[in-house]
Amino acid sequence: MATEQQSKSLWQHAWETLLRDKMAVVAMIIIFVYMAMAVLSATGIIVSDWAAEVGPSYGAPSLDHWFGLDMFGRSVLAKTIKGTEVAISVGFIASLLSLVIGVTLGSIAGYFGGRVDEFIVWFYTTFTSIPNIMLLVAITFISGKGLKAVILALGLTGWVSLCRLIRGEVIRHKDREYVHAASAIGGGNYRKLVKHILPNVTHIMIISFSLQFQIAIKSEVILSYLGLGVQGRPSWGIMIDDAKLELARGVWWQLGAATFAMALVVLAFNILGDALRDALDPKLKGK
Amino acid sequence: MRILIILAALLGFSCTKKIDLNEKVLNLSVTAEIKGMDPIYANDMYSSNEVARVYEGLLQYHYLKRPYTLVPNLADKMPTVSKDGLTYTFKIKKGVLFHDDAAFHGGIGRELVAADFVYSIKRLADPKLQSLGWWLLQGKLLGLDDWRKKYAEKDKVDYTEAVAGVKALDKYTLQFKLKKSFPQFLYALAMPFTYAVSKEVVAKYGKEFLNHPVGTGAFILPVFTQSNKIIYIKNPKFRDKYYPTDVSEEFNTPYYLADAGKKLPLVEKVVVNIMKEQQPRWLNFGKGRIDVIGIPKDNFEAAVTPDRSLTDDMAKKGITLIKNVALDVTYIAFNHDDPLFKNIYLRRAMSLAYDPHAFNKLFNNDLAMVAQSLVPPGISGYMPSYTNPYVGPKVEEGKKMLAKAGYENGVGLPEIIYDTSSATVNRQMGEFFKKQMAKIGIKIKVVTNPWPQLQEKITKRKVQVFGIAWGADYPDAENFLQLLYGPNRAPGANGSGYDNPEFNRLFEVSSLMQDSPERTALYEKMYRIAAEQVPWIFGVHRQNFILRHGFLKNYVASDFDQGSAQYLNIDLKKKAEILKKL
Repeated sequence: MATEQQSKSLWQHAWETLLRDKMAVVAMIIIFVYMAMAVLSATGIIVSDWAAEVGPSYGAPSLDHWFGLDMFGRSVLAKTIKGTEVAISVGFIASLLSLVIGVTLGSIAGYFGGRVDEFIVWFYTTFTSIPNIMLLVAITFISGKGLKAVILALGLTGWVSLCRLIRGEVIRHKDREYVHAASAIGGGNYRKLVKHILPNVTHIMIISFSLQFQIAIKSEVILSYLGLGVQGRPSWGIMIDDAKLELARGVWWQLGAATFAMALVVLAFNILGDALRDALDPKLKGK
Repeated sequence: MRILIILAALLGFSCTKKIDLNEKVLNLSVTAEIKGMDPIYANDMYSSNEVARVYEGLLQYHYLKRPYTLVPNLADKMPTVSKDGLTYTFKIKKGVLFHDDAAFHGGIGRELVAADFVYSIKRLADPKLQSLGWWLLQGKLLGLDDWRKKYAEKDKVDYTEAVAGVKALDKYTLQFKLKKSFPQFLYALAMPFTYAVSKEVVAKYGKEFLNHPVGTGAFILPVFTQSNKIIYIKNPKFRDKYYPTDVSEEFNTPYYLADAGKKLPLVEKVVVNIMKEQQPRWLNFGKGRIDVIGIPKDNFEAAVTPDRSLTDDMAKKGITLIKNVALDVTYIAFNHDDPLFKNIYLRRAMSLAYDPHAFNKLFNNDLAMVAQSLVPPGISGYMPSYTNPYVGPKVEEGKKMLAKAGYENGVGLPEIIYDTSSATVNRQMGEFFKKQMAKIGIKIKVVTNPWPQLQEKITKRKVQVFGIAWGADYPDAENFLQLLYGPNRAPGANGSGYDNPEFNRLFEVSSLMQDSPERTALYEKMYRIAAEQVPWIFGVHRQNFILRHGFLKNYVASDFDQGSAQYLNIDLKKKAEILKKL
């Protein structure tokens, strides 16, 4: 007896595909744990006392202090978690910023074409011809050092690839029948673009957001390592910078903790990004 | 005028990947960027050491005599001094040539004459050039201040106008006339600020003169670029200057005397590497690419045993350990232009909260000596039995003092910005300071800057508190006390802008006096005032632990390193042997 099968929406379908991928689930759990740590530490519920001296200078990892202690006798574990807060907030806000810029410029360029398109394409090709790290350094120099500058710098440099993708997709979509239908019933440019075309390119935004997220985290670590990043609070980059000197006296735990924390979250984001692509891209459906 | 950054800041030596053993190359390194090669801007240790490889002055310190002794360099002999002690007459050496340069007629360096010194001293006073060494001679030479003042408002500075205080009597005779007694005057003539430059070169290169050093020194630097390596070559026309034969008792050893009487310089090339970070310096030293190094804090245990001698591992490689008590003081200065720090209780509170003993442990391997005030041990004016009541760590007292200042538990106090230089160790020192201040509720933000920018910020008064250090220019407490003399404010040496009428008055009186118990009494009075008024948070007086390779000859640790490269030598045979072991 045939039962009535309810048709699934794209999103439901994607979600189910995602849940079938065990690696993706693990990645999601890891990311969730990082997010939770970041939120808890930002609200001061955990590790608000990271700066406290809890033991001797350069204390080795022990049962009391799993990741050991740094030169001022502070817990490396607490610093790593506090560093998570910086990494996640930079990753989140910076990729959100680049998402907004990329989608706005990309969809305008793709939809309107002509002079507008030429201008935006010229703008981003010029922009990408500047080496990224130089641009980051320049922005942090102009806006002063600190968390805000890092977010701004990464947000302002990370949008180009997304912009390209969105522009291409919008060009493909704008002559489709459903858009013509929308025109026929009197839909304006804004309505066609925002209500009809953008929902059809959302999957690109999500995939690119998750990949941009880990790029931003890595860049933050590099900037902080170079002394251009966050100031006066723990960051994985600053911990690695400290470790550069400490390694000479055999203190490896700060380097180990920061590298491990970063590697794990970056790996998780990469796996999730791939899984999202598998689940969301209609062309890959059923493969 | 030598401001060193707060970490162990010494020279080291380095070179290219394949070590060339056919040529005697000294491989030096510095720990901060070099600002440029103009003597009048060389107000930090790093720049002044580089300037002194190319340029020379009338006098220098004897390379192998302790206590430090002034001897003639470009002067033919020590000056004759008039009875009242105000007129100094120098005969300068004949036949000293400037380096060959396109600025001279036919590209051949001309002979140095007395007028070059007159020009160079005036250049130091030139109101348009904003020299960083004017403080040294301010108010000292007859007519020079008036000359400076007169041209401050005019468009062009006239160097031909005679100044009574500095005159060339003939081609080789130079006369200085002092306004008033200035016992440190001869020391001033050994400092790079007063070194001889040639006006043709200044005229030819204009602003670019900073990058085109043309002096009379033992080494030539064709052009200076902001890169991580500076390569000097031997001056083939260097005058007949010889390695000293008369040395102090402690240097009367074959190590120092093997080259006695030889013509200087002893090496073909000097390569100075700019290595801000400690680990690259250390690793390069280990590979024999750097011949001498101040031991980085994190490598201390690998090099020195608990009883403060060299580890066997190092000794096997032919390395020697040199200990040297430096004439210096590290400190955290307040900018006294900031209304916040006019409040003496706030300054005292911060000093009480700060723990220089912990600082010593973390950053100096517990080898330095906690400073009670600004004069280091080893020169008169230092008071061994004095204990500064405001030197921490006295957290409870600090809290009370902060309440007295009007900021109980830090309430009402804005976040204070601490500026420092950008190497990792300096950031860690900043973090240390921040932690210390947090104990009494004061919030600190640590900002790191490249070394030249940090100095510029200090000169332009765009700082609140900053961590820095001072190494002696000459062995006289006056050189430290002048750091707090009001009229010396930045761009002079008083980077904190401290101005205390009582202190200024005492300083003015003492600065006219020759070395005497009365002067020492005044120095001690100022030492006390500086301690109790807390114009800075005092840090430590450092002891340097230096390693040198066995193939480096004639090396001596000195507080006045200018020009020392010409005396150093490399034993190539030994170097080949040692490199095999490394």
